Amino acid sequence: MLAVAFEIRKFLSDNWDVLLHALLRTLEVSAIAIVGAFFIGAILGAARAHRIPVVSQVAAAYVEVIRNTPILVQIFFIFFALPELGLKLDTFTVAWLAVMVWGGAFNTENWRAGFEAVPHRFREAGLALGFSRLATFFNVTLPIGGRIALPATINTYIAVLKNTALLYVIAYPELTTTALQINALTLQTRETFFTLGVTYLALVWALSGLIRLVESRLAIPETR
Amino acid sequence: MLMSTLPDWVGPVARYMATDGLKGTARIGGIALVSSALIGVLLGTLLTIRFLPLQSLIRLYIEVWRGLPIIVTIFLIYFALPSLSPHLRFDAFTAAAIGLSLWGSAQMAEATRGAVQSIPREQHEAASALGFGWVGRHAYVILPQALRRLLPPGVSLLVNILQNTTLAGVLGGAELLGTAQRSVERLGAPQPTGLLGHPHAFEIYGAVLVVFFVISFPLTRLAAYLERRLV
Repeated sequence: MLAVAFEIRKFLSDNWDVLLHALLRTLEVSAIAIVGAFFIGAILGAARAHRIPVVSQVAAAYVEVIRNTPILVQIFFIFFALPELGLKLDTFTVAWLAVMVWGGAFNTENWRAGFEAVPHRFREAGLALGFSRLATFFNVTLPIGGRIALPATINTYIAVLKNTALLYVIAYPELTTTALQINALTLQTRETFFTLGVTYLALVWALSGLIRLVESRLAIPETR
Repeated sequence: MLMSTLPDWVGPVARYMATDGLKGTARIGGIALVSSALIGVLLGTLLTIRFLPLQSLIRLYIEVWRGLPIIVTIFLIYFALPSLSPHLRFDAFTAAAIGLSLWGSAQMAEATRGAVQSIPREQHEAASALGFGWVGRHAYVILPQALRRLLPPGVSLLVNILQNTTLAGVLGGAELLGTAQRSVERLGAPQPTGLLGHPHAFEIYGAVLVVFFVISFPLTRLAAYLERRLV
């Protein structure tokens, strides 16, 4: 056990800079995708919940296509198939775009469910107080529905972070790709995969812990 | 009639993907679904026993396999296990099936815990009063009722498992995505005629998307329908 711990320390001191850069790339792609998925979800979710013509139907089709096909095939499609139509994107763009499009679709459903869970009388009260439809949305539906949707949306963000590991298939040098390269170079298989697994668990568990914190802080005061 | 109007390359590729590819997908998916359901229901039921060491162990199992990206779990099995013992060497198919089973059983365990705890306490008490022990109580009274509630998450799990069978293709397994990838590479390679090949990635990967959609869409509809009917 002690011997293993020592090997890990040696492994980390040999490879920490490469691993740190890879971790930062994982976090960078995740952050871009999460911010994008937040806005896609909020806007399209609102369009779905308020049955805005055309936008609502297009959003529904987008959600169904993404949710009913493997994200891995989506990544392959964007990276290998779209260039045949003349749409050639560089690896970094494909990386954040693919996970963002996926997260946006799942988040649209989260926000739609959140908005639809806001009791009708709340909106009617807003309109009765003279708020315009848009003002009612921003002052009533968004703050309440957003809180209802929050746990589900954060679960989607965690899934987005985990999905960046799939970017291995387009050789984007994030954590998983880098770990496999280190493994191929050093053959320190145990240390490499131990570090890889622990890093992902730390990230995912930290984010799940954050959910509970944010949830209790943002809870609607009467229900706290 | 229709086949004759299609380009020459379509026939062999479609046949290869339909026979080898779909069969591989069905095999990994089937194994992973059955073992996820069995292990998950067992662990989820045991999780409702108030015995801290057991609960913490199952919790750890659930949080680890749900926390890791499935592709990382599969890499762990495929690359790291053989370095611990030469007996733990698996092919791409088996590694993917084990990885998916670990993830799926963790999902199923969490769902089962919820379903078992949602059965009213009176049911436990009534079964005990009839003389059932813990095993009999769960096997004959609690689980048959809980399984109804597990149907919608079970169907969702099936969709997720089917979609994630594509991970076997990353390791070179011949499932739907793996066969598609091989076809694209073969068509794209320089041809025996000396001409440069055309990979037809758009048509082939597009077809994979369509096939998965055609399989998944009715299933997600079914899960939503069951959710409305049973809860």
